[in-house]
Amino acid sequence: MEIEIKNENVSNSVLEGDGIYFSYDNGYDVFENINIRADTGKFVAIIGPSGIGKSTLLRILGGFLKPDKGIVKVMGKILHEPIPEVALIHQSIVTFPWMDAQENVMLSMKTKDISRDEMEAKAKESLSRVGLDGFEDLYPKEMSGGMRQRVAIARAFAADPYVFLMDEPFAHLDELTAEGLRQDIYNILFSGETPLKSVIMVSHNLTEVLELADEIYILNNIPATVVGKVEVTMPRPRNPRSDNFNANLDMLYSYLTPPRKKK
Amino acid sequence: MPAITLITLAVLATVARVIGLIILSIITGWFLAYASIKSKFFENIYIILIEIFESVPVITFFPIVLIIFITRIGGTLGVELAADFLVFTAVVWNIWMGEYQAFKTVPREMVEVVENSRFGLFSKLRYLYIPFSVPRITANLFPSVSDGFFYITVSEVFEVGIHTYQTFGIGSVLDTFVADGQLFNIEMALLIMGIAIVAIIIILREFSKYAVGRYTLDTDAPVMKRGRLNLKETTRVFAVLSKNPLTRLARYYKYREGDNHEETYEKKEKKQKRYKYIYAVIGVILLISILYEAISLITSVKLSEYEILIGKTPSLLIGLGYDYLRVGTILLVSMIIAIFLGYYLAVNRRAEKYGIPLIQSLSAYPAPIYFPFLFILTEPFIFSIFGVYTNELYVLSLGFISTFYYVFYSFWMGVKAMPSEYWEITRNLKLGYFRKMRKVVIPSTFPYLISGISSTINSAWGGLMIGEYWPAIYGTHSLTVKTGLMKTIDIATATGDIALAAWGSLIFGIIVAVYSILFTRKMMDLAQKKYVAEEGVYAA
Repeated sequence: MEIEIKNENVSNSVLEGDGIYFSYDNGYDVFENINIRADTGKFVAIIGPSGIGKSTLLRILGGFLKPDKGIVKVMGKILHEPIPEVALIHQSIVTFPWMDAQENVMLSMKTKDISRDEMEAKAKESLSRVGLDGFEDLYPKEMSGGMRQRVAIARAFAADPYVFLMDEPFAHLDELTAEGLRQDIYNILFSGETPLKSVIMVSHNLTEVLELADEIYILNNIPATVVGKVEVTMPRPRNPRSDNFNANLDMLYSYLTPPRKKK
Repeated sequence: MPAITLITLAVLATVARVIGLIILSIITGWFLAYASIKSKFFENIYIILIEIFESVPVITFFPIVLIIFITRIGGTLGVELAADFLVFTAVVWNIWMGEYQAFKTVPREMVEVVENSRFGLFSKLRYLYIPFSVPRITANLFPSVSDGFFYITVSEVFEVGIHTYQTFGIGSVLDTFVADGQLFNIEMALLIMGIAIVAIIIILREFSKYAVGRYTLDTDAPVMKRGRLNLKETTRVFAVLSKNPLTRLARYYKYREGDNHEETYEKKEKKQKRYKYIYAVIGVILLISILYEAISLITSVKLSEYEILIGKTPSLLIGLGYDYLRVGTILLVSMIIAIFLGYYLAVNRRAEKYGIPLIQSLSAYPAPIYFPFLFILTEPFIFSIFGVYTNELYVLSLGFISTFYYVFYSFWMGVKAMPSEYWEITRNLKLGYFRKMRKVVIPSTFPYLISGISSTINSAWGGLMIGEYWPAIYGTHSLTVKTGLMKTIDIATATGDIALAAWGSLIFGIIVAVYSILFTRKMMDLAQKKYVAEEGVYAA
């Protein structure tokens, strides 16, 4: 393992991407000098027009893709490759159909040096945390989309991550399920019962972003750069029907004009 | 030993041989498929070799295999390994290609989950790649079992010159019974073999249902590219260079100054490079060992003998022309039956319930062991109608039996996979049977048909190889055609003229591989461009 993360790390920054440049193999420049930072206790959102590279940026921050230039640091140490402490939750619901809910969750603990009994106990605890108490034996095919996404989140929790990287995690769910899950997730995230310190979420749903985020990074232009950073100071719980909320929403929309190629 | 015990043991030995070799194919395929998704270099070598070997009927290079195993190893083990190798090469390509395609199409998100947990090679295989490949392997098991049994019985007894080699199994036991005229034991052997085949088909069908239920994806994780990949796009040797080296170079210079690239990702890069080198070395070793065997065989033949062989080449090519006509006839008959029967079974659930297991059992029942008895029973009647063309008809029949099910399965699956909207449109427009077939069913199943046609052509050669020269098929009767390359290779093998057999195999291999790759690719491209419905070309 290339990095060691210690709980007693005094730095306030949990994850940061510094000066990130990235191009596809065909030469298309995606990012130019992206700087992004997620501090302890912060829910960070990244928004931008469709196709700007939000999911790609999340994968760079998770160590799944390497930038052409720039570094990603987790708790002050350079990230070389994906690690369980930085857990990626996908837009599409990723559960393994050949494993039941508990086995799906246990998957993230297989490389840890713990006994099977401990793994089972922890898997049950994680499932219980996302509201799936008693559903341990169900296979993904026997679950609804919302339940499967909860299993995926429980799997990420079971790895005791410091950061969650959420790639439009509610996009494939119906609005009612998504709303319920959003509230549950936010409550769990910073409940203090887990080592989780920060969340970075990519979304194109601005209402969702405004409801959850403390800080919003706005990407635009080609190649993409951070064109703005918004601190959301509205008190929680946030009411999407309030005038203040709508005013903030209008401001966010104004940033999301179609991307322009930089001269 | 009582005959019934001997027969049962022989059937078990044959079944164990086929099943064991299929399991070996599956296990080796997992590691090779993993190596090929990790190393582009290895992938290029691996897929090109599979494509070539898949196109060339295994039985045509059996004489060469025999020489290697019998001369280099010898004894019972050499004969056993020769028989096993023949069957292995009959079953393996399907399975290896299926596993490669499965590994190649694992959704990126699932790979990221296991990468996130820092899984090693075996954990990745155990928790992700192997389970993901199970439905694909299952789908390939039926044709592989059929192919395995088709070749196992002829590989258990074979003659080279004055030597007869045999290994214990139903093929060799039956050969003894036929030689001694033990009719009751022959019937018992056929019956017990039939029971074993039906039992295997039932088990496979149940396993197939279980595998589909348990291992197929039912989540929102998108499969990037399903099924058969466009090999033209993915596997060319020079694809190694296709990642635009100039762009890479430009990027290097663009960020060279003052970047801390090495500091950030140096370790991972080194690790990845190490694995790439390992897979590349395996690929090179594979290539060198094949080239070594080929060159040592070529150099073992004297120059004067090459002159004789080159002189015989025109007649070999004429024989090949005749064989192509035979293959064309077999294909035409197979397609006509497949289209009508496949459609009927696909749209009639009750007929399908009994018809498909029956066809699966018949296709798995090795034709070489029952064909002589079919010949005994029908030859006088057939001769009275077809006269001098009787043998030709039997050879074509054997070719048909050995290969029909490929195009049948493909077309049947294609009809089953047609989008329900298409059926609704045909009902809405009140299309008649033939118009429906012409305008909707055949075009929308075209990719499946192409896939089936390609496999049917490749497999027809095996039937011709056995049928074109079958001395003493019963008693003093022989089955033989007037002209045919397969016959020439057969006779050359039987008389010990290994050089001619190998030369014939080489010419045949080159022509068939080139034709097959060009034909299959062109037709697949056409299917992709014009006829793809619901990614049918990949699913096929």
